[in-house]
Amino acid sequence: MLLFAASRLFRALLTILFVMTFAFFVLRASGDPALLILSVDAPPEALAAFRKAWGLDQPIWQQYLAYIGHALTGDFGKSMRDGRPAIDLVMERVPATLAITLPALALKLGIGIPAGIYAALHRNTFADRMTMALSVAGFTMPSFVLALLLVLIFSVTLGWLPASGNDSPVNAILPIITLGTAGAAIMARFTRSAMQEVLGQPFVRAASAKGLSWRRVISHHALPNAAIPTVTIIGFMVGSLVAGAVVVESVFAWPGIGRLLVSAVANRDLAVVQALLMVIAFWMVMANLAVDLAYGWLDPRVRSARAGGH
Amino acid sequence: MALNDTTLSAPTPALGLRKAWRRLRSVPPLVTLCIAWLVLMIVTALAANLLAPYSITAFDLKARLAPTLLLGGKLAHPLGTDELGRDVLSRLIVSIRMSLLIAFFGTLISTALGTTLGFLAAHFRGKVEQLVLIAIDFQASMPFMIIALSVLAFFGNSLLLFVALMGFNSWERYARITRGLTLAANEQGYASAVRQLGAGPARIYGLHILPNIASTLIVSMTLTFPEIILLESGLSFLGLGVQPPLTSLGNMVGYGREYITRAPWIMLAPAAVIVMTTFSISLLGDWLRDRLDPTLR
Amino acid sequence: MSPLLEAVDLHRHYSVRTGGGLFAGKAVLRAVDGVSFRIRAGQTLGLVGESGCGKSTTGKLALGLIPPSSGEMRYDGERMPAAGSPAWRALRRRLQMVYQDPLGALDRRLPIGTQIAEPLVIHGIGAVSERRDRALSIMESVGLQRHQFGRYPHELSGGQRQRVVLARALITEPRLLVCDEPISALDVSIQAQVVNLLLDLQERLGIAYLFISHDLRIVRQVSHDVAVMYLGRIVERGDAENVFARPAHPYTRALVSAIPTVGDKRERILLGGDPPSPANVPPGCSFHTRCPFATAQCRSEIPTLQPQDDGREVACHRVRETALRLVA
Repeated sequence: MLLFAASRLFRALLTILFVMTFAFFVLRASGDPALLILSVDAPPEALAAFRKAWGLDQPIWQQYLAYIGHALTGDFGKSMRDGRPAIDLVMERVPATLAITLPALALKLGIGIPAGIYAALHRNTFADRMTMALSVAGFTMPSFVLALLLVLIFSVTLGWLPASGNDSPVNAILPIITLGTAGAAIMARFTRSAMQEVLGQPFVRAASAKGLSWRRVISHHALPNAAIPTVTIIGFMVGSLVAGAVVVESVFAWPGIGRLLVSAVANRDLAVVQALLMVIAFWMVMANLAVDLAYGWLDPRVRSARAGGH
Repeated sequence: MALNDTTLSAPTPALGLRKAWRRLRSVPPLVTLCIAWLVLMIVTALAANLLAPYSITAFDLKARLAPTLLLGGKLAHPLGTDELGRDVLSRLIVSIRMSLLIAFFGTLISTALGTTLGFLAAHFRGKVEQLVLIAIDFQASMPFMIIALSVLAFFGNSLLLFVALMGFNSWERYARITRGLTLAANEQGYASAVRQLGAGPARIYGLHILPNIASTLIVSMTLTFPEIILLESGLSFLGLGVQPPLTSLGNMVGYGREYITRAPWIMLAPAAVIVMTTFSISLLGDWLRDRLDPTLR
Repeated sequence: MSPLLEAVDLHRHYSVRTGGGLFAGKAVLRAVDGVSFRIRAGQTLGLVGESGCGKSTTGKLALGLIPPSSGEMRYDGERMPAAGSPAWRALRRRLQMVYQDPLGALDRRLPIGTQIAEPLVIHGIGAVSERRDRALSIMESVGLQRHQFGRYPHELSGGQRQRVVLARALITEPRLLVCDEPISALDVSIQAQVVNLLLDLQERLGIAYLFISHDLRIVRQVSHDVAVMYLGRIVERGDAENVFARPAHPYTRALVSAIPTVGDKRERILLGGDPPSPANVPPGCSFHTRCPFATAQCRSEIPTLQPQDDGREVACHRVRETALRLVA
């Protein structure tokens, strides 16, 4: 188990290194970083100073090592717009993003998993069909369309909720619902198929043939096994929370890192984009790592390896 | 992205085209509706110039923010106009062409790229294969939205770059499928038999393996196509995709958003087209998958 | 006369992982470990042994599909070119293969006629218009009907599919066919037909066969020479009639005695257990763990093939004593 965790950690670090390398080479491939970051009309001495400070006058592999060194200490340079360290700009936006994505995640799991289990246990009923139809809709409806529809209904027509801003907790309601609904639909669909697969397995049939109550078969045999694939999808959702927040934060003018990313891209504020890329990659990799470790906890094969077999 | 290919790992031989056709003959009504909608969209895209009543930049300042027919508008502008008096229907038709074109070429690039890399990995094995697998892992572990945004930040935007970028969406799905099926075919079976006949790689991959895995690839394209429409419209909505004066469905929604209180039709028409198109393709894809390739689900 | 195909001290080793995780050990799997043989034009060499003994790997080495780790394959006195090279591909006209699973070896998407004619297209043989006629005539000579030209593989029976594979292999007039368990996937009633077809083709066209099978009766029926393989090595080799009538190596004797015959009065040698893993070959004679005659010498010294009085070669330290015991 320890070995397993170590190899996963190694892979996680490798992915982060890969993202750094990707950012480094894409940045170099896109032109002279000094011109890009300082702008074309910067005075020549400023460009020279920048090149010296960032070691751009050195061979490329030295630049690469220096870049990795800077990145590891969280130094991605300064924002082109207000001159503050890029990483600070990013970190101060993180709480706002978490404030809408975490409740949305709770919504996804809280609605999606029970709905999926219910649909799997009541196959081909009206409730099952409704769940599935909604989940296809959740899959195909872009989040900005859903967001605007919610604004149209709850802000413009009914006037119940504010359409944008962040002055009070009420402002968070629409973003959370937007993020949560689509995710809940996907979650329900996935849980249903995972559950159905497990219910068709011989060991579940054997358990019920053994005379166990159906309730006990579900809670002791079906659910734990259906949890294994479901964890994968939860990990993917946690990892892509930020990606989902990009559009939603922009629609609702919510000051999180998603909106920061959009404005940084629009302004080509490369230092901020790089810092964001790294923070998001780190977040993704940690989520994947957590999933891998959760397997060790859920999957009896890995678990028995840890406990020395039982 | 990763949702639909979690069960892709087991490679199985695909069906022959004739057999596939036999399984497609009975079509449920909902799928027929989806096909009809998609045909309408394709015709609209192909004949956009003939169908659009006005130029997309033609101003009609006397009819600014005119409502749709449903809300008591005039026949001259059945879907209303925007705040410059531009005809929403005409803009919608041209936007449909743009969005479908991007999704079409994006899907083609993605399929070609992924299939080629899959073949290379399966043909050369060793280091080439490891490299492809690392790239697949990387692509699958980062949300493509984030990768796309950073590339747009680094390189700026142009239509050509944007279409190419869309082509990088979910190439890893094709690479995985192609590699798996090719390895299976190379291990035992028809591909190694043809190789033993003395055929070169072009004949083995182009004339034997590709036609055999085509139905699996086509089914996967029904996943990629709506994904690209959603990605393109999302980025265009944010103002980072298709740039004015060109227009796409996402652009229209993003633009109409500012008039959501006074003229919601500007935004609702393209939003409805996006949802119905992606919904139709997804449903059609689900159905094709059930019929053609039971291993995908 | 120089042999058509010659294998000189072929080795094929794979490195395999043992256990799992980061610190997994590595072991060498000796799939083929020093195999030599010769096949003369128009003759058949039968290769027999239990599954996993390296028969199929030897077949692939014989065709040059995979390179040997050491040793050499020679066709017509020339070293086998590297797999996939133009020279190797050109040589496919002369070296063909028949597979255990004919359905797997055929492209399910193409009509069989197209597939039978494909080698002509690949090697640029004949005019485009001629190819169809040549395919039709070869179909007739393997016992297929002309009207089956447009059929798909799944529309044919197992025996017919094997005929398609044979037709495709024969259309370039090869000099050698490697047949890897060509009939073991077929119904018993069809097996005899295919074997007779192979014998008939050899007589008419003078093709040589490397016939790989675990079925000793069939091998005895088709082979001129026979080689018995155990754990990657040939343990006995010689004239097929001799070897099967008077097997000398204890392993061969066990195999032969396992053939069910009517009115069986011979001593039966039963082999205990499965053969050891080729990744973990026992020291000395690799057969000593299952051999009823094993001595201390067998456990430490590897026996080599030694010529016997009747011309065959046997790799066994105790071949003389045990043979005496049998006669007595």
